[in-house]
Amino acid sequence: MHSKTLGWILLAPTLLILFLFGVVPFIYVVFVSFHQWNPFGANPNMVFNWANNYRRVVFDAQFITSLQVTAAFVFFAVTSQLILGYALAQAFMRDFPGKSFFRTIHTLPLIMAPIIVGSVWKLMTTPSIGIIPNLLSNWFGYDLNIGQSATQAFITTVVMDIWHWTPLVTLTMIAALVSLPPDPFEQAQIDGANRRQIFWHITLPMIRPAILATLFIRLMDAMRTVDEVLMLTGGGPGSATRYVGVHIFKEVFPRTNYGYGSAISVVVLYLTIVVCWLMYVGLIAPRNKGKG
Amino acid sequence: MKPERRPGFLPIQTNWFDRLFISVVLWVALSLFWLRFLEPLGLSIWICVAISLILAAVIIRRG
Amino acid sequence: MRKGNPWLSVLFWTLISLATLFPIYWLFVISVKPAVELFSTPSIWLTEIYWQNYVDVLNNRTLRGYMVNSLVISSGNAVLCTTLGFFACYALSRFDLGGKESIFFWTITNRMAPPAVFLLPLFLLLTQVYRVGDFSLADTRIGMILIYCTFNLPFAIWTLRPTLDGIPKELDEAAYVDGASPWKVITEVVFPLARPGLAVTLILTWVFAWNEYLLAATLTNFNARTLTTGLSEYVTTTGTNWGIMAAISVFTLIPALIVFSLVQRHIVAGLTFGAVKG
Repeated sequence: MHSKTLGWILLAPTLLILFLFGVVPFIYVVFVSFHQWNPFGANPNMVFNWANNYRRVVFDAQFITSLQVTAAFVFFAVTSQLILGYALAQAFMRDFPGKSFFRTIHTLPLIMAPIIVGSVWKLMTTPSIGIIPNLLSNWFGYDLNIGQSATQAFITTVVMDIWHWTPLVTLTMIAALVSLPPDPFEQAQIDGANRRQIFWHITLPMIRPAILATLFIRLMDAMRTVDEVLMLTGGGPGSATRYVGVHIFKEVFPRTNYGYGSAISVVVLYLTIVVCWLMYVGLIAPRNKGKG
Repeated sequence: MKPERRPGFLPIQTNWFDRLFISVVLWVALSLFWLRFLEPLGLSIWICVAISLILAAVIIRRG
Repeated sequence: MRKGNPWLSVLFWTLISLATLFPIYWLFVISVKPAVELFSTPSIWLTEIYWQNYVDVLNNRTLRGYMVNSLVISSGNAVLCTTLGFFACYALSRFDLGGKESIFFWTITNRMAPPAVFLLPLFLLLTQVYRVGDFSLADTRIGMILIYCTFNLPFAIWTLRPTLDGIPKELDEAAYVDGASPWKVITEVVFPLARPGLAVTLILTWVFAWNEYLLAATLTNFNARTLTTGLSEYVTTTGTNWGIMAAISVFTLIPALIVFSLVQRHIVAGLTFGAVKG
């Protein structure tokens, strides 16, 4: 057939761009992370300093706190989204008028820019102008001030993430539930299984692949949440919502200590890769192997 | 990928690239742990590097 | 399908939809209120509409510049990514290239990487390394167009691959037999058939680029700043102009809503790397 050269020529621009803006930055950040480099410091030149930056990273209390709050955020947000998304998908599995209309509305948050989601929720929860603190204090006498209470700020970011991303889980779950064959369910009903048994022994194993794929995607996205939180709380109060991405944006990037900032970036990238890889190996790969 | 003839000690099927990747991941994890907890006790980081290299060699050859 | 009163379901979904829509409605409410009314007791209902915030945004030269930048960058990026993705997928689907499946998988890892990690290296590369004489890519539209490729190009390749694989190879082989050049085959045989897939890719990459904030906020100073960064500039510690901020948000939201109405069915597949057909 036609020459392979043409294929490589067609592929070349893509590979070049991804190399220049994907691979080179990766190598470069690892390279810089082993250097002392602060252009505005006493010595503006790059000096190789072994692993000194990493020596600082592992004792950086602020950074470790940001890892902890990120883990808490990811755990609460993703768990709630999966449970809520599944419940909503089940509620969608009946016949009722206007199904596609409701589905359309439900998809809407997914296309919104994260920064707009942050802005929308800021307008909702800022004490002076927001509707939520107002209603809470009028109806329940509850004081919501995300600028001051660390717990409230944390919960608000989780709720915001739930609002933004639960539809994704719902829609993937609907897709999975719709594609289930009816036979096993009818058989189970004839055999007298109750709804809980059907859920644990038939539905759950059958939609497991879809759940795992959704979990994987949501975990990856939740770990790198930045824009919304930056807009809503700016990482505050204190370090309550300073998730790793926000930490890099607010505390690491503005400082000109490039060597140390690179070391933090490398550690974050390392943790992301390890978590994704463990998820993939532990949850998704065994299923594929079992299949083939 | 061609499956390995002889199953290694790792719980999953791997090719040489996977094992190299696992070795690097373990090296970094061990180094960070070492810097945080063992180096303050006076154990040099080079011990960690040596351990990691031995570990890597074992994983890549036998994994 | 389980039985049950359908109107109960309708009631339930109406409530869920209200919860989904209310924050967006509230954004609109804030954007059409004069500043003095904001701090009186917040009311859910609108009594009168005040368009001044929108007029202020449109009259603001800086923000107009940001809007133009956003339009240029996201359009340029969408066209570039869709074109290159189309060529790349054609190559991956029709040629027997060594290691092409590894290449395909590698491209998608570029999209999975957390952007925050790349802020510092990209900033340093753009300002110090990627420069020719006085020209550097930092704070230029072309620089942002290229940087947005790191997440949009893998996306384009990922979504276009099934489209290209779905076009029968026999068609281009027949054209080659008739003596057509590769360029003619790509533009006159494959392209028309791939058009629906290309349109969806173009639209979704466009909206992802339009929505991007983090990279734009750190890698631009003035010349290439986008509307999303303009939004964050209106949030200051000393006092936020809430009405203006809401109006900018609405301006940022409108294109996304239009896009939403066009490709609603493909959004879920797009966000899950095609793992779910939506």
